[in-house]
Amino acid sequence: MASKLRSMLPGSLPAGSRDDDKPPIVFDHVCKAFGALTVLDDVSLTFARGQTTAVIGPSGTGKSVLLKHIVGLLHPDSGSVHVLGIDMSRAKHTEVYRVRKRLGMLFQDGALFDSLCVGENIAFPLQQHRPDLSAREKRERVDHVLEMVELPGLYDRATSALSGGQRKRVGLARAIVNEPEIVLFDEPNSGLDPMTSDAIDALIHSMKEQLGITFVVISHDIVGTINVADRIAMLYQGKLIANGTTAEVVRSEHPILRRFLGRNLILPEHGDLTDPRLPGVP
Amino acid sequence: MIRWLGGFAGFVVDWFAACALKAPPPGRCMEEAYRIGVRSLPVLLTISIFVGTNLCLQGYNAFVPLGGQRLVGMFVALAGIRELAPIIAAAMVASKAGTEMASQIAVMKTREQIDALEVMAVNPLWWLVTPRLYGIMLVMPALTVISIFTTVTASYFTATIQLGLNGAVFLEFARNATSGFDLMTGVIKGFLFGIVICFVSTYCGFASKKGPEGVGQATNAAVVISSVVCVSLNYLVSQVLYG
Ligand SMILES: Nc1ncnc2c1ncn2[C@@H]1O[C@H](COP(=O)(O)OP(=O)(O)O)[C@@H](O)[C@H]1O
Ligand SMILES: [Mg+2]
Repeated sequence: MASKLRSMLPGSLPAGSRDDDKPPIVFDHVCKAFGALTVLDDVSLTFARGQTTAVIGPSGTGKSVLLKHIVGLLHPDSGSVHVLGIDMSRAKHTEVYRVRKRLGMLFQDGALFDSLCVGENIAFPLQQHRPDLSAREKRERVDHVLEMVELPGLYDRATSALSGGQRKRVGLARAIVNEPEIVLFDEPNSGLDPMTSDAIDALIHSMKEQLGITFVVISHDIVGTINVADRIAMLYQGKLIANGTTAEVVRSEHPILRRFLGRNLILPEHGDLTDPRLPGVP
Repeated sequence: MIRWLGGFAGFVVDWFAACALKAPPPGRCMEEAYRIGVRSLPVLLTISIFVGTNLCLQGYNAFVPLGGQRLVGMFVALAGIRELAPIIAAAMVASKAGTEMASQIAVMKTREQIDALEVMAVNPLWWLVTPRLYGIMLVMPALTVISIFTTVTASYFTATIQLGLNGAVFLEFARNATSGFDLMTGVIKGFLFGIVICFVSTYCGFASKKGPEGVGQATNAAVVISSVVCVSLNYLVSQVLYG
């Protein structure tokens, strides 16, 4: 469905600008504390181009904090985060904004603007950054991504009339409408019913086939993660305790990892009960 | 208190650094001006009318026993145009438009919409503060003038119809006591109060704690702080111009 995203979007730019071979996201000895609470403790991690990396870990370990470092909403106390070659905490504002224009992010609850309708929300990045597109081209693109997230014809719907799953899909449509090179997801499955959740996973999976897009998926839900991720990194109490391909990590003997995987895969009824996706919970 | 002031000063400096020279988001200033104006107008008219009536009654009580019927018009004009109308306009705009600014922005912060703006490479100060600031700068002077005329007109009718004073004398003394300069003062005050209300209210929104409690606190702080600052600023401006 989404495999030809880049070439199918009307008014697409040619897929240049991705010439450099360096990893698009590099964490180098990042430490971050809020007061006495150390959230990231010497985290070094690279995200490979064109791959889907899942960052997993129990709630409250700092997964969202990690994501906010990528987009430059938070800055490390020490160490550095480079995104598309730019040091996000030391670069000038304009350079950070230039990097952000090449990113898309799906927020936990969509973060849609209440004063705009669905279509205007999705068109927002185009309105702001793509004066080169005509109104018709923008509209075509929005209609196209609406179809991709399986919400065709919802352009004029008010955001207040959307369900939780629909909000996420609209948020996803907004994240990808301007052809980002990196797409970030914060808990794409949390708070969703199993069917919508699977649909979102399928959507991520099919977009993954689009060459060159780097995905970062934050999740405490291991089941969905295994299906979509090429690589898995696990955060636990501020430290990176595992980092490898999905197959490696799933087979790892690391005790904490085993406990996390085991609880999620084998004993779901003792897992995080706020997650409606757990198998065994009707 | 000190921390609040520091944060507020930083916020205003940030706005000037990032937005003062940048064209506002197209179309949104007029939208905000219209909203601020229309929302605040009904309550402003109502309050202005009754401030006018009471100003006249108290002027009458004060001056008529001393034989100074004619001074009522002068008193109403001086107090109404120079002091009360601008302050009333500021208080009403703070309580309608200011609280709305604070709560809207606090809700956006709670729902990660401010973060979303940043991530989409749109400066939230530019997108959220600039249109409200230019909008309020546009309408506050107008609202102040409207409040001035409503207050004085209400006083006039109270004086002539209820108290049986001579309307022509009332107007003559009102006109002689004041000048275009006083009207100008009112407009300048309105302009300044508008800027204060906008910066204070939007800052309260941006600085709010996330969650419903934070939204309530931000809304409350916006109206309290902007009213206090406007009343104090009013004293300063009057001191400079008339002291
Ligand atoms: N801006 C902040 N100020 C203070 N503490 C924060 C902030 N953001 C996150 N935290 C704390 O950091 C820890 C990790 O948070 P988070 O990254 O949201 O966890 P999760 O892994 O569930 O996404 C939590 O204890 C949280 O309270
Ligand atoms: Mg989180």
